[in-house]
Amino acid sequence: MAEQATASFIGSRWRLAGILISGYILMLPTLGIYRFWQVTQKRRFYWSHTEIDGDGLEYTGTAIQLLVGFLFALAIFLPLYGFFFYLSTQSPEALVYGYTGAALLLFFLSGYAIYRARRFRLTRTLWRGIRFHQSGSAWAYAFRRILWFAVTVATAGLAYPFMAASLWKYRYNNTWYGDRRFSFEGSWRTIAAPFYVVYFLVAGLTVAITIAVSTGSGLELGSQQISSEALVGILSVALAIIVLFSYFYLLSRFTSRLLSKVTAGAASLKVRVRARSLFWQYFFYALLVLFAVTAFLLAVGFVLQGVLEPMLADQEIELSEILQVGWYNLVMLGLLYLAFMALLTVLSETILGLGFWRLVARGTIVENSDSLKSVRAGGEESPLAGEGLADALNVGGY
Amino acid sequence: MQLFGTYYDGLTADPRAVSCTIQGTEASGFLEVTDLELDHMVAHWPQDSLLPVPGRKGELRLASSRAPAGARIVFADRETAARARRELPVLARHRKRHTGRQFRVIGLSTMAMASVVLAYIYGIPLLAGQIVGLIPPDMETRFGDKVVIQMASALEDTGGLRQCDPDPESLANQAIGRFTRAALEGTDAPFDVSVQVVANKIPNAFALPGGRAFYFQGLLDKTESADEFAGVMAHEIGHVVHRDGMQQLIATAGTGLLVGFVLGDITGLSVAGTVGAALINTSFSRDAERQADRFALEVAKRRAFQPTGLADLLERVSKDDASAQIFALLSTHPLTQERRAALEGISPMAVATVPAFSQEEWQAIKAMCLGSGAGKSKNKNKAIRGD
Repeated sequence: MAEQATASFIGSRWRLAGILISGYILMLPTLGIYRFWQVTQKRRFYWSHTEIDGDGLEYTGTAIQLLVGFLFALAIFLPLYGFFFYLSTQSPEALVYGYTGAALLLFFLSGYAIYRARRFRLTRTLWRGIRFHQSGSAWAYAFRRILWFAVTVATAGLAYPFMAASLWKYRYNNTWYGDRRFSFEGSWRTIAAPFYVVYFLVAGLTVAITIAVSTGSGLELGSQQISSEALVGILSVALAIIVLFSYFYLLSRFTSRLLSKVTAGAASLKVRVRARSLFWQYFFYALLVLFAVTAFLLAVGFVLQGVLEPMLADQEIELSEILQVGWYNLVMLGLLYLAFMALLTVLSETILGLGFWRLVARGTIVENSDSLKSVRAGGEESPLAGEGLADALNVGGY
Repeated sequence: MQLFGTYYDGLTADPRAVSCTIQGTEASGFLEVTDLELDHMVAHWPQDSLLPVPGRKGELRLASSRAPAGARIVFADRETAARARRELPVLARHRKRHTGRQFRVIGLSTMAMASVVLAYIYGIPLLAGQIVGLIPPDMETRFGDKVVIQMASALEDTGGLRQCDPDPESLANQAIGRFTRAALEGTDAPFDVSVQVVANKIPNAFALPGGRAFYFQGLLDKTESADEFAGVMAHEIGHVVHRDGMQQLIATAGTGLLVGFVLGDITGLSVAGTVGAALINTSFSRDAERQADRFALEVAKRRAFQPTGLADLLERVSKDDASAQIFALLSTHPLTQERRAALEGISPMAVATVPAFSQEEWQAIKAMCLGSGAGKSKNKNKAIRGD
């Protein structure tokens, strides 16, 4: 019997904005501690408003687990921090090698952190009373990731589809819903077509521009003569347009195609996210950011004008007074800055973050969903404490 | 009374439409769950084992401490959820206890965070001094040389750190050297201290780790008397003696860590992190300034100059114009009434007998950078190597 189930997301942007804003406000008196509660509330919002086949997800993680995880991560970071400090007192040559090494180490650690954070979230996700979980080793994943990254860099990006397929395979073949194991059935071919089309288009145009610039020669099209400058101009505009739109195109194709290769026993996912929908979201977001930045600059202008003008008018003002006012201004500017950053985060989270989640949820169909009803519970909540390193390295998404 | 909802037994992923009835009292009663399709009881949860778990607004999700961890009864309908809440007072009590616990945890961890911040702000100036004592002087000297190279390239636009008069035998350099040695008398400074007058337009003077101090031409132009010059010199030598450059470096590293701790961004790359760190570091540097002033006072007692010259000069430089250059000076040498008062506190003339600089020496120092138009590039490397 082939049953199809749909997914949906019914959370409102305003409610999410409310959670984020009240969280930021409470972070001030709690010296940042409240962020673990804010993240937990945010996840509960996303999870509980996501329904698959009529049943909502439940996020069972707590803020205290995140707080403890952060403290663990500090223990790992303190020696690293000491090493960076030592590094900064070294000669310029040592600095170059040191920072390269440190960047690689951080990249490696972030792979470890991503995998562990994923495990934390999966084991705290409940659907129909059954927990998800993740097997596999975070170190193995981190090694796999850094090796593939090296290969991708060495092949000037050509190996990217192989990397994506390998990492998706590792992640999904180690993902469980109760006692049912997920599997990733795709290969590099899954995303090869969209990736290489964009890759060679961009590479071809770049080469053409380089040639046109270096030789300074134009183009003859029948009777029409195109000058070198005009040619470079046309090609550059074409390149810019292609790069801009290929982002939405690739994001939509990668998400749709890779997720559509995920199965769990007889059940499988069918996901379709349109590039067009992604584009409009980013467009809307860009407009709002433009508006927010303008409003912010105007506000700063007013504050500065209000403070500086009386000062400049009064020539006899004491230097120490200016300095004291300066402190007050600095604090005000600091608060204004924090408010601005919070505003930007709220915008990107409510428009892009929620938007993407909703597009994926609404574009998802579960084939053979009835086969999932026989899944039995399995797996513990693990790791017991937080996403630690992921939190510290800032790799966590939702 | 019947409440219709969905039941998940926590063992298999099979949602069941159920009707629930509430039996007995809070202490000894049960929540009975009947499967609508199978028409028999599938769960029997004691009321005092019920736990509300977070879900969507309006909906009620129940777990039980006596059932598998994933087992849930969900009343998605607002009205049913509200009715269940009314009928089960244990839920409100749980909620209250839970909220109280969250408040306590947030309060406690905020207090812990605040104590870390306070311990840091008051502890680091003390601690940095101790840590600096553990760093071997020649390591600091080697480090200082690297800082000089970095500073020279950062200040390249206004003239770099090219020494005005590279001849160590000149009258002016001899006088500066003599004053430096005299100022260091009786201190346990572990370095060979060198003070160089450099051809840079900015009105500033600073000391770097490893015993290297610089007096900028821009400041020398505005210096009107030997007293003022001696005051600034003594102040900078004070920084060297206290190893303030190194202390500041250690304090800055600690500040970065602390700010990362509060903001949750350990990389410390955000602007908020940078600004926060700068604010804390400024307060440390003010302490260091006060200490260097006290040192200048001590030197003034022995070397017969008016320490208030330091304050006069700072005031003059800052009053000239509100340009960016002045902020450069203010940031490293903020002038406050309190500092001036401290410098005026002692009349040193009574103690000292030997003047800091003779009239000829002061004239020679004042003229150091005037003849340095030629040979710019030739001297640059010399200044950097520090001879």
